[in-house]
Amino acid sequence: MGWIIIIFLAAGTMLLLAMLMTYVLGKASIAWHVEEDPRVEQVLEALPGVNCGGCGYANCHEYAEAVVSGEVDIDRCSVGGVSCMTALANILGIEAQANWPSRPIVHCGAKADDRLKKNPYGGEPTCGTANLVSGVQGCAYGCLGLGDCERACPFDAIHVIDGLAVVDYVKCTGCGKCAQVCPRNIISMVPFKADRVIAVGCSNLDPGKHVRAVCKVGCIGCGLCRKASDLFGLEDNLARLDYEQYDPQRHDELLAAAEKCPMKTIVEIGKPTDADLAATADKELAQPATADFETTADKAPYRG
Amino acid sequence: MELLGEVILIAISAALINNFVLHYFVGICPFLGVSRRVDMAFGMGFAVTFVISVAGLLSWTFTTYILRPGAPLTTWVYRLAVPDTEVVPDLSILNYIVFIFVIASAVQLVEMYVRKFFPKLYKSFGVFLPLITTNCAILFACLEILRNVSGVPRAEAWGVVEALTLSVFAGLGFMLAIVIMAGIREELDSCDVPAPLRGAGITLIVAGLLALAFAGFTRVDQGLANLIR
Repeated sequence: MGWIIIIFLAAGTMLLLAMLMTYVLGKASIAWHVEEDPRVEQVLEALPGVNCGGCGYANCHEYAEAVVSGEVDIDRCSVGGVSCMTALANILGIEAQANWPSRPIVHCGAKADDRLKKNPYGGEPTCGTANLVSGVQGCAYGCLGLGDCERACPFDAIHVIDGLAVVDYVKCTGCGKCAQVCPRNIISMVPFKADRVIAVGCSNLDPGKHVRAVCKVGCIGCGLCRKASDLFGLEDNLARLDYEQYDPQRHDELLAAAEKCPMKTIVEIGKPTDADLAATADKELAQPATADFETTADKAPYRG
Repeated sequence: MELLGEVILIAISAALINNFVLHYFVGICPFLGVSRRVDMAFGMGFAVTFVISVAGLLSWTFTTYILRPGAPLTTWVYRLAVPDTEVVPDLSILNYIVFIFVIASAVQLVEMYVRKFFPKLYKSFGVFLPLITTNCAILFACLEILRNVSGVPRAEAWGVVEALTLSVFAGLGFMLAIVIMAGIREELDSCDVPAPLRGAGITLIVAGLLALAFAGFTRVDQGLANLIR
């Protein structure tokens, strides 16, 4: 008999405890209720709720709060994709903007032969180090071609070809690692509004005479492009293209402006066109050779 | 007067001599996790002190009146059901469940409170606030109270004052330890720590040295006891 009573006693104790705690916590949650924007709840409903952290916030709830307060755009959730973005736009009563992918543009167009006044450099073969030494090449703004960006890229989407970093826009995901590591800050992340865009391939701020002395394709700040298209601007002796205002509809106009450029600094970049692909379609492309093993020496930046 | 002496002894013992973190090495995870900045360490110390006090008080109440062998409430109910028996009902199987229940509820309470009144602190705590639930320092305090309530002869069992003193001062001792640690770690940020020791290594070494320093308090309680008695 005794053990039955003990069981009931135990159950009764837990019940008592549960009731006490429920009462206290219930009262507390009413008394200390935090006023929250009701839209946060709705946004949270619309989000996938996997708390992956891909948006840069710790969980979906924090991202929802940030979205409602207007801190971030509604396009950060890559898991939810477009449908999620539209749902958020409906909740917040804003237009879902077309989301331009962010892509790097290398603002230097000089191949190894285009650079003048080069000096042999025998130091550590990274741009970061070479940037500390003056006189590696005449241009103090342009690409050093030692491939810090190539090593930083997790997608094998940027390569130093003929002494110049070239982005492979097919592979590029727009993570921005290359722009971060470039010691000369010549890579900028811009919204890519079309598969192919026009870019100014120069970062040199010096007057035209000095640019001519160090580079065959540098921007001399003549301003011809600005006359051809008002999308161009000229600042500190350098032609600039404002990608916020960039209009892919006016591609031809920009191409014409690029034609006018006496130094051929303004170039068209982006994914290969159908014509480009057709031109190489019948050729067998060499696969890049990859080592099937890795030694510690592979990652060592020093050359012995 | 005797109670006062006892309370002083318990307080000093819990906060300094047998500091939970630096003597028993319980509650290490928040001690290492939230001791990066002094203000956060203070917040964590306050939160833990509050939870430990609430949990200690409730544990004492439950162990004394319901859970310990021959607790008055339990015995009374048992006698209602079975009159004329010598059996001493024992609910101590429920000890751990009740403690964890109490701790979890107290943490919920703190979480709501901090979220309402200190939203910044709430954000900076992140996951460490709910993790107080599994902070062993708090369960250790509950178990210490349990030991002194049901593990000793009835005449020496702790009353509510002793239990509350232990909980509050254990919490304050935790706060002291974590704030000292945070102060040291803030200074460490500007130090040239040898590369292999950076991060967890130097933190654990510092924690060990701190524990050594606190070991200097050993047997201070005996001296105090002689002084008081």
